[in-house]
Amino acid sequence: MIGRIWAIALNTFREAARIRVLYGILVLVVGANLLALVLGEMAVHDESRVARDIGLAGISLFGSLTAIFLGVFLLYTEVQRRTIHAIVSKPIERWEFVVGKYLGMALVLSVLVVVFGLAMGGMLLWQGGGVTAAVGKALILSWFEVLVVAALAIFFSSFSTPFLSGIFALALWVIGRVTPDIERATQAASPAISAVTKVVLRIVPDLHLFSVSGRSLDGNAVSVHGDFVPWSYVGLASLHGIGWIVWLLAFAAVLFHRRDFV
Amino acid sequence: MADLAIEVAELKKTYRTPFRRKKVEALRGVSFSVAKNQIFGFVGPNGAGKTTTIRTLMGLIRPTSGTAKLLGHAIPSRLARTRIGFLPEAPYFYDYLTVGELLDLAGRLFGLDATTRKQRADRLIERVGLDRARAQSLKKFSKGMLQRAGLAQALMNDPDLVVLDEPMSGLDPSGRKEVRDLILELRDQGKTVFFSTHILSDVEAITDRVAIVARGVLVGEGTPAELVNRHILGIDVVVRVPREADAELTAAPAGITRIRRLGDELGCTLPADTDVEAWLARAHDQGAKVVQVVPRHETLEDLFLRRTSDPAPGEPPAVAS
Ligand SMILES: Nc1ncnc2c1ncn2[C@@H]1O[C@H](COP(=O)(O)OP(=O)(O)OP(=O)(O)O)[C@@H](O)[C@H]1O
Ligand SMILES: [Mg+2]
Repeated sequence: MIGRIWAIALNTFREAARIRVLYGILVLVVGANLLALVLGEMAVHDESRVARDIGLAGISLFGSLTAIFLGVFLLYTEVQRRTIHAIVSKPIERWEFVVGKYLGMALVLSVLVVVFGLAMGGMLLWQGGGVTAAVGKALILSWFEVLVVAALAIFFSSFSTPFLSGIFALALWVIGRVTPDIERATQAASPAISAVTKVVLRIVPDLHLFSVSGRSLDGNAVSVHGDFVPWSYVGLASLHGIGWIVWLLAFAAVLFHRRDFV
Repeated sequence: MADLAIEVAELKKTYRTPFRRKKVEALRGVSFSVAKNQIFGFVGPNGAGKTTTIRTLMGLIRPTSGTAKLLGHAIPSRLARTRIGFLPEAPYFYDYLTVGELLDLAGRLFGLDATTRKQRADRLIERVGLDRARAQSLKKFSKGMLQRAGLAQALMNDPDLVVLDEPMSGLDPSGRKEVRDLILELRDQGKTVFFSTHILSDVEAITDRVAIVARGVLVGEGTPAELVNRHILGIDVVVRVPREADAELTAAPAGITRIRRLGDELGCTLPADTDVEAWLARAHDQGAKVVQVVPRHETLEDLFLRRTSDPAPGEPPAVAS
């Protein structure tokens, strides 16, 4: 089972590594870091502040967009081009295929996040600001955000077209990130509306957990530039993310299992 | 039963196009069985339901109703698939791989260890004649080369049962001959081969049994000989005779067909019950020399055309609901 999943994952990695757009994104992110460098120079004080903000936002934004892009296309093209016919007719279960596909994608995204992180770290060191523990924690949180978004995209693509899956995944990514703001906004509204919103938001992955800088948590302001979350928070958030990934993949596998490949 | 490689009972498949509310009854109750160590040909015109049957067997699509067993296991069975090799119709593989890498991936999915994968891949690449294309990615393969790569990946697990959807399509005559030889070789190794085709000469040449499918139902099953040799259709004669004799020779018997003149030769087909001796004696009187006398049996092609153009029993295949 592990061998089969791994075979699919490695093949997916190879497939994704051939997508030129990914290299474009790498260039973009490194470019964003350079831009941050320039903007930092212009800032009146604390130039590394700008660099950190732009760097982390870039990882989260481009990482998530890449995750959606890979998630909605990689599974779909297998079915569309019928490469899947020679695969699922081998002694592999369909869920193993879905998990292998996800792991391959997660591998690509992880490499991407590491490269992004290195670019950002290099820039911070160049500026003479240190790479703080807070930046490390923020990076790990972004990494999990990207992994959850990939699972979200795969979930949609297990039953839908890339276009629709992309829209759904993008919508949930945005909603997931601003959940607390939506909650706050609807608190003022009638109890009925706020109750409905609460229920709806429950089924959206809590991606806001992974981008906490600039928010207040339990009444305390949290920022990568100052007081950041403790490691225990990072651990819990990561576990939460893994929970979402498992759920989403399980649903994707069930939906995928029922499909006809023609 | 243990000596059956494939058992299919009342298999039905209705494709539903979402939104358009249109149903296509691709299979309308197909039943047949394939004994072990046989070459079984599954023939039918375009759209008959061959690929649908094969995809159902391989677990790619779910039947609407009916059952099927492969090597004694009800479909879909992961266990059965470890013993089965499958070549999809017009196969398409990851085009960034080389044939060696494709076979390695197949070997991994079959759970083979690295040494076995390497050995089998080397042997199969040679066997299907792709030795010189080892370094190329599949993207640069021609249709026939892809077909060969597909055959090789289907044999990586040294299967007991081989299911091939149109293995000869896209191949030139010598390629087709090679595939026919490969199929015969597989049977000699004790394997069962189930393949679909509409190239009837291939079926006549190598199959032990044939099933003919049309519009989602079987319209005939048996050995090629059983299916076609039941009656003589007529007697083809060709005689060398001056043109002036044509009218007299073709005047009788009644039912003479396919009359044709080729240079100094007259050809025609006499009805099956003709007294050939008497007719030849008449020809002799006109100064004719006999060139050829051949009883014309029904060919698989005649049978195929006859069976598959019969009006469909039951409903038409496509109905709007
Ligand atoms: N995905 C699909 N949706 C709707 N109808 C389909 C689908 N796939 C096949 N069909 C229909 O099912 C019928 C059987 O098709 P199938 O591909 O099994 O035929 P076939 O015997 O393999 O033909 P060919 O010799 O052309 O390969 C056809 O009428 C076809 O139009
Ligand atoms: Mg077909």
